[in-house]
Amino acid sequence: MSLLFEIIGGALILIGSIFLLLGGLGILRMPDVYNRLQAGTKATTLGGMSLILGVGFLKVEDDWTWMVKALIIVIFIAFSNPISSHALARAMYKRKRYPLIKNDDGNMDAYKEVSENIKKEDKK
Amino acid sequence: MTYLILIFFLLLLMLGAAIYAIVQKDLLYAVIATGVISLVLTALFYLLQAPDVALTEAAIGVALTTIIFIITIRNTVRHEDDYNKKDDLKSAVE
Amino acid sequence: MKKFIVIITLATLGFYLGQTFYELGFGDARFEHGVKDIYLEKTVSELHVANTITSIIVSFRGFDTLGEVTVLFLAATALGGILYKRRHHVGDRSVLFSASRIVRSGSKLLFPAVILLGVYVFVHGHLSPGGGFQGGTIVATGFLLMLLAYENFKVSHHVLSYIESFAGIFFVLFGLAGFYNGGTFLENFMPVGTMNNLFSGGVIPIIYILVGFKVAAELTGLIYTVLHEKD
Repeated sequence: MSLLFEIIGGALILIGSIFLLLGGLGILRMPDVYNRLQAGTKATTLGGMSLILGVGFLKVEDDWTWMVKALIIVIFIAFSNPISSHALARAMYKRKRYPLIKNDDGNMDAYKEVSENIKKEDKK
Repeated sequence: MTYLILIFFLLLLMLGAAIYAIVQKDLLYAVIATGVISLVLTALFYLLQAPDVALTEAAIGVALTTIIFIITIRNTVRHEDDYNKKDDLKSAVE
Repeated sequence: MKKFIVIITLATLGFYLGQTFYELGFGDARFEHGVKDIYLEKTVSELHVANTITSIIVSFRGFDTLGEVTVLFLAATALGGILYKRRHHVGDRSVLFSASRIVRSGSKLLFPAVILLGVYVFVHGHLSPGGGFQGGTIVATGFLLMLLAYENFKVSHHVLSYIESFAGIFFVLFGLAGFYNGGTFLENFMPVGTMNNLFSGGVIPIIYILVGFKVAAELTGLIYTVLHEKD
């Protein structure tokens, strides 16, 4: 039974580390704020959650309270991480930094429709 | 040995962040670099078996100081060279 | 150019500082027999406190803690004095745009959890790492979250100053009660209980709870003052 818990915990920690690495790579490689937030938040939410759950599984044999603490931390991450990234993205949107897409020439450009919509909203 | 390498790496990271905070003209980036120093220092204190000090550093250094600096930057100017443009400060100096 | 002069000066200073610390020789024979043995022994035998650092901060070096709290109080007072402006209605502040509904309800959900964590940290100061300063800062961070989410969230300065003053007064009174019972300032006069219980350590948890309230009130007031300063 302890071997099973160890395998599950190790696998979860491995998955978590891979996702955190991918999140870091995404923050470096993505072109604009929204894509970076996408990479950073999604990867770190899943990565952090599975990392902490993995630690809980590794220790659950000695002391079951580790699992409860890990679950509480996971719930906290599930609350706080999306909220903070939503606040960041909204702040950037309100500051009129628009997402980038490829236009017809192949260059990265601010998303036209979004900016037009915002102009319409401003006029109202 | 791994422990020593880890501590050495964290110290180097702190030094790099500190130099970046001095050189950077954009004060917001400098404040974030100061927060990074505190974050690394928290990890360092924890590795050196001082959890009390690590908790203090995490609460005060990472959270509170950074936020108060950011609010101050919002209320004054963001770039180091900009303060001449600010009328209030200029009249206050003169 | 100025930057590099600053960096070189700092590097030189750091080098000499490091050399001084190196020559000081931490862990040498000089430190082998010192006050630390007394602390380590008395913490367990007399005070029954699990966290030695707490017993040093609150009991053996309690007077220093009083000084630290006073420094914090003076800093908060000075900041309030500098930033004080006569306003007709306190509670207005300039925001570019108000926080969205997600942030508002999320903060409302997280706020009690953050306050609970802070209170836990300073109530369990004598059992686990942490204490009054750390817990108070965490509580202040919770109030900061609410202040950022709701731009007309009001914190009463009167209530804050009452909490702060009463915490400070009771800190000094508990210290003076040590004199009354024939000891020194902040000496323990209450039953110490058994080790690793919540109700143990005599006067230490009470002092740390008071410090926690004081620090939380001071830092919340400080954040509130800074946040409502308009340029």
